[in-house]
Amino acid sequence: MKRVIISVIALAFAINGQAQRIKGSDTMLPLSQKEAESYMKTNSTFKVTVTGGGSGVGIAALIDNTTDLAQSSRKIKMDEKIKLQESGVTYKEVIAAYDALAVVVNPNNGVSQLTREQLEGIFIGKIKNWKEVGGDDAKIIVYSRETSSGTYEFFKEHVMNKKNFANDVLSMPATGAIIQSVSQTKGAIGYVGLAYLDKSVKAIKVSYDKGKNYVEPSMVNAKNKTYPVVRPLYYYYSTKVENKVKPYLDFVLSAEGQKIVESVGYVPLK
Amino acid sequence: MKKNLNLLSIVFLAFTMNAYAQESNNPIDTLAAYVQKMNTTVTNQSKLKISGYIQFQFQKADTLGINSFAGGNFDAKTDNRFNVRRGRVKFAYAGTLSNYVLQFDVTEKGLGIKDAYMNFTDSWLQAFTVTGGVFNKPFGYEIAYSSSQRESPERARFTQTLFPGERDLGAMLTFQMPKASPWNFFKIDAGLFAGNGTNPEFDKKKDFIGRVGIVKLTPNEKIKYSFGLSYYNGGVYQGSVNTYKIWEDNGVKTFFKTPIGTDTIGSFQKREYKGFDAQITIETVIGLTSLRGEYVMGIQPGQSKTSTSPTTDFTKVTAPATAPDTYIRNFKGGYIYFVQSISHTPITLVVKYDFYDPNTKINGNNIGLTTTGAKVSTAADLKYTTLGLGAILAVSNNVKITAYYDMVKNESSSNLTGFRKDLKDNVFTLRIQYKF
Repeated sequence: MKRVIISVIALAFAINGQAQRIKGSDTMLPLSQKEAESYMKTNSTFKVTVTGGGSGVGIAALIDNTTDLAQSSRKIKMDEKIKLQESGVTYKEVIAAYDALAVVVNPNNGVSQLTREQLEGIFIGKIKNWKEVGGDDAKIIVYSRETSSGTYEFFKEHVMNKKNFANDVLSMPATGAIIQSVSQTKGAIGYVGLAYLDKSVKAIKVSYDKGKNYVEPSMVNAKNKTYPVVRPLYYYYSTKVENKVKPYLDFVLSAEGQKIVESVGYVPLK
Repeated sequence: MKKNLNLLSIVFLAFTMNAYAQESNNPIDTLAAYVQKMNTTVTNQSKLKISGYIQFQFQKADTLGINSFAGGNFDAKTDNRFNVRRGRVKFAYAGTLSNYVLQFDVTEKGLGIKDAYMNFTDSWLQAFTVTGGVFNKPFGYEIAYSSSQRESPERARFTQTLFPGERDLGAMLTFQMPKASPWNFFKIDAGLFAGNGTNPEFDKKKDFIGRVGIVKLTPNEKIKYSFGLSYYNGGVYQGSVNTYKIWEDNGVKTFFKTPIGTDTIGSFQKREYKGFDAQITIETVIGLTSLRGEYVMGIQPGQSKTSTSPTTDFTKVTAPATAPDTYIRNFKGGYIYFVQSISHTPITLVVKYDFYDPNTKINGNNIGLTTTGAKVSTAADLKYTTLGLGAILAVSNNVKITAYYDMVKNESSSNLTGFRKDLKDNVFTLRIQYKF
């Protein structure tokens, strides 16, 4: 009996020793899940758990030592760096993939393209009706992510020129909720990662040169860098767990891992 | 078969764990109801956060029984000591746009209350917050900067003298736009306080304390900078018949009784501080570099042997002669921190310089001199400077070890016994902190 108990404890330690916790960005959730599934298939003793919550949540977990890898769709902030230093966490950053951010509307919406300036106007609440941008006479209903989301911050910085979202913007807890809401609401508009695009919503072509050229959010356009709203996706980890997380990160960065990146709808590094 | 058995076990467990979720016969519904109930419980429980830290330390002073601002005076027969400098437990409940906070300090000296306050924020703009209870005075930067985070073991000498305990009893209005607002960088705190620290209020006068500040980041997030202006306007109850100020007579600067000194019982002596603070953090290849500074000047009603304002209730003194006389001093004080984290290591280095001149109108050999009809100035009028050097090792997110050496230099006066030269009162501190 004693031998059985010791074996169980040893097994638990062995499994726990390999178990990796990944937490953070909802944008990266499908990517990490798929990578983890494939990674675990390469070795039955490898165990990876993946949870979302937002980039800020993932980095907070890294500070609190409740995750091994923080997944983030934005770069780490100064305040987070200060907290990591105070917590004695020396960290490393790895870019795992790129993500193109797509602006989506209801499929029944006649508008198919918008300039960056028009998008800014819509999201700050200056443009309130679709007819102002060539659409039907209908109220624009704006969906956004919560403030803890890296996607929220990237969109605000790169599309809205750091201007503030309108007060009546509806904040959604996850990207899936934006897809669902936009697909069910005729006058809706929102933004999601390329990987989340499906037929229930329509992706808008975007112009960053004041209407001269409109580019569709697609894998091809993201890879050839003609689509302008592209951002890196990061993993952050403490150097104390480098040995533990390195095999997983090596897998993500390998040719096989990067194939998965593309298959899930993200842009591979090369 | 095994899988079916497992499924049955889970369903059975769900039923036994929630005897009331019987409305549906579908086991999945029952399980979902149970999970929902658990979720509600967890959400409610997560509103209550318990945190705290303990700072255990060993200190070695230059000589026996020194007076010190590095955690209190040493006992007469001691030049080294162990002590629990701080043992904090904080309970914070975060409701909707509101907070309830209780914080205790438990050390070998006993139990003390540090914070007991609530606050709530308006639901419309979410910019105005009212705070009431016992909490940090909104003055300067160092007062509100947690001792668990601060790189030096103690606050500057002027902070400890002018704001003993850092807290006060009062009500405060804060204006700060929500995080998502572009105006979030701007903050105003303004409050009325009893002015007696954490002691019960005994006089009718309220002290005004306020601070206006900004916090900004450069677009590349490599530099964070902030600054603030603070103002304190209050009064100290005059329990004695005598008030003294510095005047010069026949070349001697010392304390003379004010002309209205005989009829001041029950009046209030003006307590006025003006402060400026600034902080900057820069990310470089060698790590994070921070510079923090603060300068305060003003008028301080104290006593003969201390420039700290009295917090004792003198309103009920029946024999005014027993109440201490008031000594009015013009003061100035400040500090500057240089903090350097070493990139890719858990090590941070700190250099801190602080000064406190409790009486700017008198210095050098004038201190300790007196003349007919005057009161002598004392060690409470000496200027002090402290240079601190330290290294911090963050062992984990819970444990931090600090080694710190305070080099204290006092102003000397040939006319003041015991202070004719710089005292040997440097202190070395080795502190280990556990935070949760």
